[in-house]
Amino acid sequence: MKKLSITLAAVTALSLGTAACGSSSETSDTTIATAPEVATYSVDGAWARTSPMEATMGAVYLNITSTLDDALVGASVSTDIAAMTQVHETLMNADGTMGMQEIASVPMTSNTPLALAPGGYHIMLMQLVKPLAVGEIVSVTLTFASGETTIVDAVVSEEAP
Amino acid sequence: MKKTSRLATLVLVSLPLLFGCASDSTSLMGMTRESPLEVGMTSLPEVFASSESETSFTFKAQTDELLVVFFGYTMCPDICPTSLSDFRAALRRMGSDSDRIDLAFVTVDPERDTADKLIPFLSTYATRFHAIRTTDFSQLKSVQDKFLVKSSVTTDETGYVQVTHTGTAFVVNSSGQVVSELPFGIGSDGMENDFTVLLNNIENGDK
Repeated sequence: MKKLSITLAAVTALSLGTAACGSSSETSDTTIATAPEVATYSVDGAWARTSPMEATMGAVYLNITSTLDDALVGASVSTDIAAMTQVHETLMNADGTMGMQEIASVPMTSNTPLALAPGGYHIMLMQLVKPLAVGEIVSVTLTFASGETTIVDAVVSEEAP
Repeated sequence: MKKTSRLATLVLVSLPLLFGCASDSTSLMGMTRESPLEVGMTSLPEVFASSESETSFTFKAQTDELLVVFFGYTMCPDICPTSLSDFRAALRRMGSDSDRIDLAFVTVDPERDTADKLIPFLSTYATRFHAIRTTDFSQLKSVQDKFLVKSSVTTDETGYVQVTHTGTAFVVNSSGQVVSELPFGIGSDGMENDFTVLLNNIENGDK
């Protein structure tokens, strides 16, 4: 099981309140210095299921936790892997059928793991260039509402780790 | 979209309430009905490698065997690979007993799922299978009605093909009765349990 911890310097000059105040040469002695909040993301259990020979779709699953409220707003992989990548959710419709839809933003509550797992949220790899084979690594770039991104290495396997 | 998410948990939690499943290890984990679904009189075309012609496949197991029926499509990235991977894992653990488990996969997306896609797809998950395909949607629906299965294929304004389908797998005996309905999310353990219990029942004289 891979585990990746990333500390992000999430607060920029914009959030410090100086960028929108006028010309860059303008200074102010009234700026209140506050300690920037730093989000820590931890990702574990990242894996992608093997894809059959003729399949053009794949899925990546993982668990992600942030120390701050945030949202997962996108994912991407190299075009060497798949032509398009989206965050999807599998849903059960009122008639009992199951389908999927793209999700623009998956809310993340601070310090609460967000599970992307079979039957729920997943990162959908569309138009796979070649089948996903056991042991391969799929590097997925996750994008958050904060504007930050992080790269997760998902191991291809037949079953969940 | 009408939705209820976190479906695996929901379905599994609600099953005992709806169907009175017992919890000991010799009992089935799938759904059972007092009046089982009867599917043994239904048939659909089975397709083979592209050079071969179709035959008619009837939804019943061979004598002393079980037939597991899935409805899905090959471009399905989440539900179908999950269920079929669980099926594969269950059979691997069963060893030689798995020789008595047959698989029928009915595509709900026949326009895209031609034989040359279905056969390699299913070969990934099973050594013994039947690829079932008809482009006659009324014929497909008539069989789905017997299983109480629904599906749809629609294309949105961007050209994206949206497919929905019932996620349940059906275990059918040689009389053509559905003896266990395996909801999505039951997992390989649940499948292995039911296959083993039902094969034992056959050996004990039940059908």
